[in-house]
Amino acid sequence: MRLFYTVLFLLVPIVGVWTFAIADDYGWWFPENISSFGGEIDRLFDVIMYMVGFTFIATEVLLAWCILRYSDKSPGKADFSHGNHKLELLWTAVPALALLFIAFSQMGTWADIKYAGSFPDSEYSIDRPMAQVYASQFDWRVRYPDEEGNFEGTDVIESAFDFVVPVDTDVVFRLRSRDVLHSFFVPQLRLKQDAVPGMDIPVWFRAEKTGEYDIICAELCGWGHYKMAGRLRVLEPDDYDSWLAEQRVALYTNGTEDREDV
Amino acid sequence: MRHRFLVAVCAGSALASCDIEPSRPQLSFSLNEAVPELNEDLGDDRVAQDHLLGALEMLFGTPNNPGYLLVEEWVDDEYNPNWGDLELSDEEWEALVADNERAFASQIEGIERGNFGDVRVPGSAIDLRRDWEEYYLAEWEEIAAGIEAGEATQADLDAYVEENAEDAVAMFAEWYPTMRESAEFYRVQCLHCHGVDGGGDGPTSEFLSPRPRDYRPGKFKYTALADKARPRRADLLNTLDQGIYGTAMPSFRRFSTAWLHGAVDYVRLLSIRGETEIRLATEYDVDEKLPLEVVQQTYLDVWEQWDAAYDKVIAYDGEIPESTPERIAHGRELYMDETRANCVSCHGMNGRGDGASAYEKNDEGELVLVKDEWGNEIQPRDLTRGLFRFGRRPIDIYRRIYTGINGTPMPAHAEMKDPEDPSRRLMSDEDLWDIVHYIRSLSTHEKTTQVAAETASH
Repeated sequence: MRLFYTVLFLLVPIVGVWTFAIADDYGWWFPENISSFGGEIDRLFDVIMYMVGFTFIATEVLLAWCILRYSDKSPGKADFSHGNHKLELLWTAVPALALLFIAFSQMGTWADIKYAGSFPDSEYSIDRPMAQVYASQFDWRVRYPDEEGNFEGTDVIESAFDFVVPVDTDVVFRLRSRDVLHSFFVPQLRLKQDAVPGMDIPVWFRAEKTGEYDIICAELCGWGHYKMAGRLRVLEPDDYDSWLAEQRVALYTNGTEDREDV
Repeated sequence: MRHRFLVAVCAGSALASCDIEPSRPQLSFSLNEAVPELNEDLGDDRVAQDHLLGALEMLFGTPNNPGYLLVEEWVDDEYNPNWGDLELSDEEWEALVADNERAFASQIEGIERGNFGDVRVPGSAIDLRRDWEEYYLAEWEEIAAGIEAGEATQADLDAYVEENAEDAVAMFAEWYPTMRESAEFYRVQCLHCHGVDGGGDGPTSEFLSPRPRDYRPGKFKYTALADKARPRRADLLNTLDQGIYGTAMPSFRRFSTAWLHGAVDYVRLLSIRGETEIRLATEYDVDEKLPLEVVQQTYLDVWEQWDAAYDKVIAYDGEIPESTPERIAHGRELYMDETRANCVSCHGMNGRGDGASAYEKNDEGELVLVKDEWGNEIQPRDLTRGLFRFGRRPIDIYRRIYTGINGTPMPAHAEMKDPEDPSRRLMSDEDLWDIVHYIRSLSTHEKTTQVAAETASH
């Protein structure tokens, strides 16, 4: 029986590590990274995963060893201990150092991605965003400015659930919510940003691969939360320009193209 | 103790092969709750009600196995409304195939690699899955098993793949959902709001304002068509593509084109079924019951309205007039003029949807919002917010002003006649465009202030 429980509890770290090892083959691991800063985010994830993984394996093995070593012994009289200062200092200081290490190792990445000072300032910037993204229950609307860069005029382009961006370009957009908390999440971009009612939040990314990706709402926003799945389309810059130009023309259509159905 | 361990192992292996057949609950259509009001004889006569439901089942099938009863002339014309793909233009069909190739990229890749065993068919495509397993996978697996048993060689398998890969790829690329598959898509994606019968009474509907559309009366608000015509395929597709902004109706763009066409097919079936039900209920007679000729004639009459929709598109020949301060000011005059457009009566002085006619007195004498034909309170649109449900393009707003909104007090302004000369329209197309420009200016602060200043200086 002792051996059975030892093996059973040893299986926890073994199966745990095994699922991580095979995850990539089964498509359980992260989706492809297409973002310029995604590699940094993944590196931070790895740092934390290996630290947690080491602790997980060490404690599980210790547990199994304790079962093997101490169970099935006839219980003698219990010892009373006042504690051990050195041991307590150690188990406080080591996790504290580990947490400090995590805190310091992510600071640079956070500053590079989230600080206003490190936002791109080329074609698009915080003051000249490429688009506004409005989240509402249960809807994503992307607004592109008119040709003068104005978001207030009647010539603004509005796109439902379809965020079209050029590849290899620093894209800055401003995220707002019309009602409750939402969160703009594109796993392939390693980008997640809450949309907070009343706040106008600048966000940036640089997509390095063309394709179609899902925009997911990552903050439970109501019963239709799961339906709030938009689409990010990363196009070649030329295709993006012609798409936008098409939208500008289509806005002022006279409707005759609908007659062709007849 | 041992069996507990076994359970853990089984749970682990179940995770590894996440391939659970989707459960398909048995659904049934129920009687439209308005039927007893339409015909007293059907009020509590269960036999008569079953008679009506039986006639409808003959025409439209059940939610698990829906399909139209074919009419002789359709068969002669080689037309079959159960196959929506017959109604697509070549262009639409090409777009659908291209989108299928994108959506089924991994399946097509698996077939081309010759590894049929790895090809997974998504759960809702029940008929596609069945066809794939029956026509291709079964034989492939048989040969693959033969290799292990030493009865077949790898060459046999390669030959089988070579012979069939092209057809198998085409089956995925040219897939168009059957009515059964479309109903399955509807069950998963739409039913929770729109209900089994399309009555807008699904379980989540009671939490929504506005309420989901009841398809059964055949009335649809948002089409590009005049004369309250039944929507075209393109109108319903547009709603699925854009969602209805400001309501709980989302966009379904992330699904492939084929699914969206299928959803349109099924919504049309529900709507035609609902309208046939309402008409048959009014025509039901205790002595005669429902003679077959009556059922058939009603069915054809309802269908005819859907066929007639295609020549009613509202469009404006020529370029739409440009928005100028003069036009916006003229639009504002028409908006305010009680003898002309009179938008102000419902939409209010400032376009906030708070005009006097937006309200009525209820039985207790309290002011409440006017109700639409579905019996729900409706607030006239607040035009200053820039949220236009049918779309914010000028043509979208033009169409709403031109033909009104079906089922609501919003009238068709193009049909208004000059009281002094009833042969003439009260407002020309250009007048309507001026109103469009004024309304569009309301949601942009800059131009509104400009117009207000100009109107004040007049």
